[in-house]
Amino acid sequence: MRTLDQIWAIAQNTLREAVRNKVLFGLLFFALLMIVSGVIVSSLSYVENARILQDVGLAAIRLFGVAMAIFLGIEVISREVERRTVFSVLAKPISRGAFLIGKFLGLTLTIWLQVALMGLAFAAVSLLAGAPLGAVHAAFLLMVAAELALVVAIATLFSSFTTPLLAAFFTTGLWLVGGLSRELRDIGAASDSAWVEGSTWWLHRLLPDLQSFDIAIEAAHGLPVEASQLLWALAYGTGYVALLLFIAVAVFQRRQFR
Amino acid sequence: MREERAQVVVVEGLEVEFRPGLGRRSKRILDGVSFSVREGEIFGFVGPNGAGKTTTLKVLMGLLRASAGAARILGHDVGETAFRRHVGFLPENPYFHDYLSARETLDFYARLSGVPVSERPERIERLLDWVGLRHAADARLRTFSKGMQQRVGIAQALVHEPKVIFLDEPMSGLDPLGRVEVRDLILRLRAEGRTVLMNTHILSDVETLCDRVAIIAEGRIRYQGSVEDFSAAGERASDILVAGLSVACGAELEEVCAAELRGLGERVELRVAEKHVGDALSRLLAAGAEVISVTPHRASLESIFLSAVEQEVQ
Ligand SMILES: Nc1ncnc2c1ncn2[C@@H]1O[C@H](COP(=O)(O)OP(=O)(O)O)[C@@H](O)[C@H]1O
Ligand SMILES: [Mg+2]
Repeated sequence: MRTLDQIWAIAQNTLREAVRNKVLFGLLFFALLMIVSGVIVSSLSYVENARILQDVGLAAIRLFGVAMAIFLGIEVISREVERRTVFSVLAKPISRGAFLIGKFLGLTLTIWLQVALMGLAFAAVSLLAGAPLGAVHAAFLLMVAAELALVVAIATLFSSFTTPLLAAFFTTGLWLVGGLSRELRDIGAASDSAWVEGSTWWLHRLLPDLQSFDIAIEAAHGLPVEASQLLWALAYGTGYVALLLFIAVAVFQRRQFR
Repeated sequence: MREERAQVVVVEGLEVEFRPGLGRRSKRILDGVSFSVREGEIFGFVGPNGAGKTTTLKVLMGLLRASAGAARILGHDVGETAFRRHVGFLPENPYFHDYLSARETLDFYARLSGVPVSERPERIERLLDWVGLRHAADARLRTFSKGMQQRVGIAQALVHEPKVIFLDEPMSGLDPLGRVEVRDLILRLRAEGRTVLMNTHILSDVETLCDRVAIIAEGRIRYQGSVEDFSAAGERASDILVAGLSVACGAELEEVCAAELRGLGERVELRVAEKHVGDALSRLLAAGAEVISVTPHRASLESIFLSAVEQEVQ
C-alpha cells in the first residue's frame, strides 16, 4: 500500500515535469502540423485523397510518438541523476525499484497523453476531410500506445545504467531492430543452415517483436482486425515491459551514485 | 551517563575505492573509516575539502556501496530501506525539482516518507516557519537563491520527523543570519532528543554546536572524541598578560622559562608551559612587572584540526 502510493507520487511528479518539457512541446507541435497538413496534401491529389491524408496522419502519430518516448524516457531519468535530485529522494524510505517504476509509469502516462492529443487531431482532420473513421483507427492508437510503452521501458532500462547519449543510441537501435525482427526470422528460416535458422529464430524471440503492434495497413484500408490479435499484442507488450523493468530495477539497484 | 547512551550510528572499517578509468590505478577515498554517534548528540564530522566526508555520508545513505566495512543506523544495515523513515538527509549543495514550489516539494517528500495526508499540511506550515520560507512558500524553486534551496533542503530532511538527521555542510550558501537560524534549529533538534550528524569544514560551527567530533583527512579518521579530551592530550600552557616588563626580564623569561613573547604595545603577552607558570610569575613580580591576567590556554579547535590533519602516518 505504502509502496504503491510512493510509486504513484513519483509517477505524478514525473508527469508534471515531463508535460512541461520544451522539446516534447516541439515534437507535439510538428506532429500536429503534419497531421493537419495531410488535408493540404490530400487536396492536391485526385485519387484516394482520404487515404493519403490518413496514411500521413497515422505515420506521424507513430513516428513522433517514438521520438517522444525515446527522448523523454532518457532525458527525464538521466536528469534526475545528473541534477542529483535522486540523492534526497532515495534517502527516503523508498526502494530504488519503486522509484524507477514510478518514473516509467509517469513517462508512459505522459506519452499516452500525447498519443491521445494526436489521435484527437487525427480524428478531427479525418472528419473534416470526410474520410472514414472507425474502430480500426482506435485499435491503431491502442497498438501505438502499447508499442510506445515498450519503447519507454527500453529507454528506462538503458538510462538506468548508461549515459544519455549511449542510452539514446541503444534505444533507437533496439527499436529499429525490433521492427525488423520478423524479417530476420524469415530470412533465417529460408537458410539451408540449421544454425542460422535456429539463431535467427532465437533473436526474433528475444528482441522486442514490434511488428506485433503494426496494424497500419489495416487502419489505412479500413480492414477489420481480429480482437484476438489485439489481445495477444497487448499481452505480449505487457509481458515484455515487465521483463524490461525487472532487468532495469536489478541494474539500478546496483548503481553507485558517486 | 553519556557512555551509556545507545549508539545510533556505527561505522566500522569503511573502505571506498574509485577507479578513474579502465586500467588506471584505483584511488582509495575512504581507508578504514570507523566512528560512532551516540543518541541525542550533535556529532561533527570534520575535515578539509576532499577528505571523504560526503563519500562517507553517501555510504550511510545507501547511495554508494563500500568495498569493505559495515555501517549501521539504528541497528539497521544501511542497505535496507524501511528504517529510513527515521532518517533525514540534507545532501551537499542540494538541488530539487525546480518546477515545484517549496510547499509542493515538502509535500512530495512527506508523501515519499509515508507521512499521512492528514498530518502533512500542518507539519509543512510549521517547517516553512522554522526555515524562514513562509513568504516564498508558493514560488517555484527555479526562482530560489542558493541559500533558499539550502533551507528547502533542511526542511525536506525534517519533514517526516526523523530520529537521526544527517546534514552535509548545512551552513553552505547561507548568509550570517541564516547561519544563526540554522544553528538554532540544530540545537532545537537536539533539545527534542534527536541525533544529528553534520559534515563541516567550518570550525566555529563545530565549536558552538558539536558535542563530539571525528576528524577525517585523506580518507582516514585522525581523531574521535570530545574537543576537551583532545586538547587535554596536548601540552597545557597559560597566557600571562603583563605591563611594564623590562627588556632584561623578558630575555630572562625567554631563556629560563621558554616563554613566547608577543607585544601588545605597552602590554606583553607571554605564553608559558604549565610547569613554568609558577616560576615565571615569581620572576615577574620580583622584577616589578604588573601582572594583569593569567589565562589557561585552551588549544583552539583550529590547532587541534591542523595538528590532526598534519599528523601524517610516520
Ligand atoms: N564523483 C567523483 N569521482 C571521482 N572522485 C570523486 C568523486 N567524488 C569525490 N571524489 C573524490 O573523493 C574524495 C573525497 O571526496 P568527498 O567525500 O566529496 O570529500 P569532502 O566531502 O570531505 O569534501 C576526493 O578526493 C574527491 O576527489
Ligand atoms: Mg563534501
